[in-house]
Amino acid sequence: MFPIKYNYQNKMKNILIAISLLFLAKFTYAQDLVKKIPANAFTVATIKGDNVFKLMFVKDFNESFVVKKLLTETSKSLDKEFTSIEDFGINLEKNMYYFNQLSDSITYNCFLIPLKNAAKFESLINDKDKKFKTEGAIKTMILPDSTSIIKWNNDMMYFITGSIRSSFFADSTNSARYGIKEIRYQNNYDDVAIADSAMVAVDSTMVVTAEPAIEEVIAPPVVKAKTYKNASAKKTSAKNKNKKQPAKKKAAVKPKRNKVVEEIEIGDLPITGERNDVDSAVAAIQNANGDEQYDDYQKKRTEQDAKKKQLVFVWMTAQADKIFNTSYESIENNKSYAASLDDKAIAEVWVSSLQDVYNSIVPEFGTYGKTGLMQGYGSLNAKLFMDKTSFRISTGLELAKDQADAYKKIMNRKLNKNFLKYIDSEKAIGFMGYSIDTKAYLEEFPKLMKQTYGAFLGARMDEEIELGTDLFSLLLDEEAVSKVVKGDALFVINGLNTKEVTFTSYEYDDDYNRKEVTKTKNETLPDFLFMFSSEDNRLMNKLIKYGINKNYVSVNENIYKIEEKKSPIDIYFMIKDGIVFFGNSLAEMQGISNNTYKASISKTHKNLLAKNNFSFLFNAKNLVGKVPNDEIGGEETAKKFNETLGKMGNVYMKSNPIKGNLVSADISAEIPNGHENALKYLFSLIENAAK
Amino acid sequence: MNLKQFYKLLLFAFLVPVFSSCFEVVEEISMRNNGTGDVVLTINLSQSKTKVASVMLLDSVQGYKVPSKQKIQQELAEAVAYLKKSEGISNVKSTADFNNYIATISFTFKDVSNINNITKNILTQQKIKATNTSSYSFNKTTKTFSRKYQAVGTAKTEFNKLKSKDKAVFNGATYTSIYRFESPVASTSNPSSKLSKSSKAVMLKSNITDLINGKMNVSNQIQLSK
Repeated sequence: MFPIKYNYQNKMKNILIAISLLFLAKFTYAQDLVKKIPANAFTVATIKGDNVFKLMFVKDFNESFVVKKLLTETSKSLDKEFTSIEDFGINLEKNMYYFNQLSDSITYNCFLIPLKNAAKFESLINDKDKKFKTEGAIKTMILPDSTSIIKWNNDMMYFITGSIRSSFFADSTNSARYGIKEIRYQNNYDDVAIADSAMVAVDSTMVVTAEPAIEEVIAPPVVKAKTYKNASAKKTSAKNKNKKQPAKKKAAVKPKRNKVVEEIEIGDLPITGERNDVDSAVAAIQNANGDEQYDDYQKKRTEQDAKKKQLVFVWMTAQADKIFNTSYESIENNKSYAASLDDKAIAEVWVSSLQDVYNSIVPEFGTYGKTGLMQGYGSLNAKLFMDKTSFRISTGLELAKDQADAYKKIMNRKLNKNFLKYIDSEKAIGFMGYSIDTKAYLEEFPKLMKQTYGAFLGARMDEEIELGTDLFSLLLDEEAVSKVVKGDALFVINGLNTKEVTFTSYEYDDDYNRKEVTKTKNETLPDFLFMFSSEDNRLMNKLIKYGINKNYVSVNENIYKIEEKKSPIDIYFMIKDGIVFFGNSLAEMQGISNNTYKASISKTHKNLLAKNNFSFLFNAKNLVGKVPNDEIGGEETAKKFNETLGKMGNVYMKSNPIKGNLVSADISAEIPNGHENALKYLFSLIENAAK
Repeated sequence: MNLKQFYKLLLFAFLVPVFSSCFEVVEEISMRNNGTGDVVLTINLSQSKTKVASVMLLDSVQGYKVPSKQKIQQELAEAVAYLKKSEGISNVKSTADFNNYIATISFTFKDVSNINNITKNILTQQKIKATNTSSYSFNKTTKTFSRKYQAVGTAKTEFNKLKSKDKAVFNGATYTSIYRFESPVASTSNPSSKLSKSSKAVMLKSNITDLINGKMNVSNQIQLSK
């Protein structure tokens, strides 16, 4: 038995290798497998083979470090010769998919992989005659322990694994329907009897036999997670009977059991192969101990687990058959999914709705989730792009109309154009700009909070939330606040500057008596500048006046200095032309004050800042060699530091304008010169890291 | 250089590079002919005060927790309290200047050997493994002051286990020991030590890294003129 098992595991490993490899592979249109993804899929992830292999030929791919290693390993473990990823039989020109489906009873994780050469794919399986069965053009292989199924024909391979939701059988209506009993360790046989009879009474059609063969299977209701809490809310008395044994009794018996038993208690939920092994091992030990009660418990439990597993298997089989043999509405017809696609992307992920994600992650939140935590947030998508110059990840989130309208109002502000005068693109190490409409933000904020988290507080809190919202509006004069802080700001580091700092050291006289002396040294510090627009300076002026009176602030002409000893750097500020400036360089502040500040912004930087509500840029190259070696920690560290920075291109982030109901943002990283494209650069990075 | 390290570098590039910091440790012992004396221990980080001030604003740096001002004061107070209870020790004082980052501890001893176990015990108390063996003695009859120091192999091993960035913290850190006497010094055994003009004081300066690596030995046998 064990050698066979070992083989299975080995094969499983190979298949997993193959699958992960598939993720690196390529695709085209003609019968795209997306047609096979059911319309109610919850998450869909795609890798676009054709786009990947436009950037890197299969030949280069095979010669890359990672793939070479993969091929060698696979060759070794299967005792066959693989020289190309094409030897795995996958169609590299088509799209590969992962998707999952959630229901109240089971979660399926599935992969759809296009095949070019089924025979080659089959060569990945050892002893194939024994391992899979053929029905017409369709071949099926059941993985060890029946937890996953692989099914394929000449065009595609389908992998499915399912896991049952523990909460499903906690509902006795469901457990009775499928003849599953919830087994708890107990020593009161009367109770068991009651539970048993209750079970029989509820479910007269289901005959519980020692062999868990379920002949008539009720199809699992595949519904979206949203609806499922309704079911779990209905708890019947039968269930209560089953659950009658309190935890105390368990604890009372515990000392009798050995360590192995306790481990089982911990791993209570998932049905796995390992568990069964342990179960039988435990059963053996328990027999020796003569603990009949426990033995009985184990037996019953194993029976029930086997039943559940059998059920999962039957459901998975049915789902896999459906994929191959029937036609149904595919995810293609889902508008949100279709809209999320981009021809140029290398990979895409789409999640049906944030609200659903939230509810599925915390189904136990039941009551909160059902009432709609994260209400108003729709589908989520992320796309990866790679081209000759950069990597780019673009993410999008669909909002409900109300939400989108609120965000549109908030985003309805552009960065003060005068800010741009203070960016020196030649020297700037980085900047970050953002602009929102403070007034709209303050007005919309309470509403958004209510929509997002309102449900968390429960329906009964409605009035209180309403009250809070009103109070917020009453206390804040949104209009007045928005005049003090308009809502746009810019933070920029225009370079590094050397500054003389003093420190205390010691000198010694003829008797080596210590004398404290003040010495000076140079320090390199980044010069930052932070600015925001303000129309109404009255409050600021009052604050400044207060600060001066209390000696928190000192003034020199129109430039103020914050007198805070704790701060490692000096901070200056001033108000000029409706802009409040903060900075750590007196020279810069003076330059701004008397209009002699020299800076010129590049067109790219100008566009990035002016056109988006949020933008961020980091230009590492402008930092290379600017920090003296001894301040980084010696020549060696400095060399490494500068090398790394020198290899980096610009990294930037930006938010895009809201389109329809979609908010989106991009993050990009430029690749250094001397690399053909981002994918090849990525492979070279991996190779370097592995060396 | 992996990605995580790189991000750390990035962070520090923005924050003010904190890798290296210069600091001084000064140990002064003033011996009287009757065998009693005073000790002043000083740690001076003022040369790195911008960095220290920045680091103090952080919660942790390079994986080490940054102690708060309160925590430092508390530890100092604990050390003082311990010293006060120690045999032969009196007149214990401490100062902590958080503007320049200088801290001192001073005390008077009845016999220089009183010091020997103190350092070790304080370190143990603060859960720091004592990594050197150091002892002082003064022979009133022969008028010989001796400092014995043995660099312990484990110190070097432990130090070499540190990441180069962490090691860099000790780059430029110095250790100075000054021994003052009432009588003139006739001879010293350590060639690295210097005699003052008045011949009544001996100074020995070393880089802390050399001390840890065992490149520098601060042992010294000082013979006073009879």
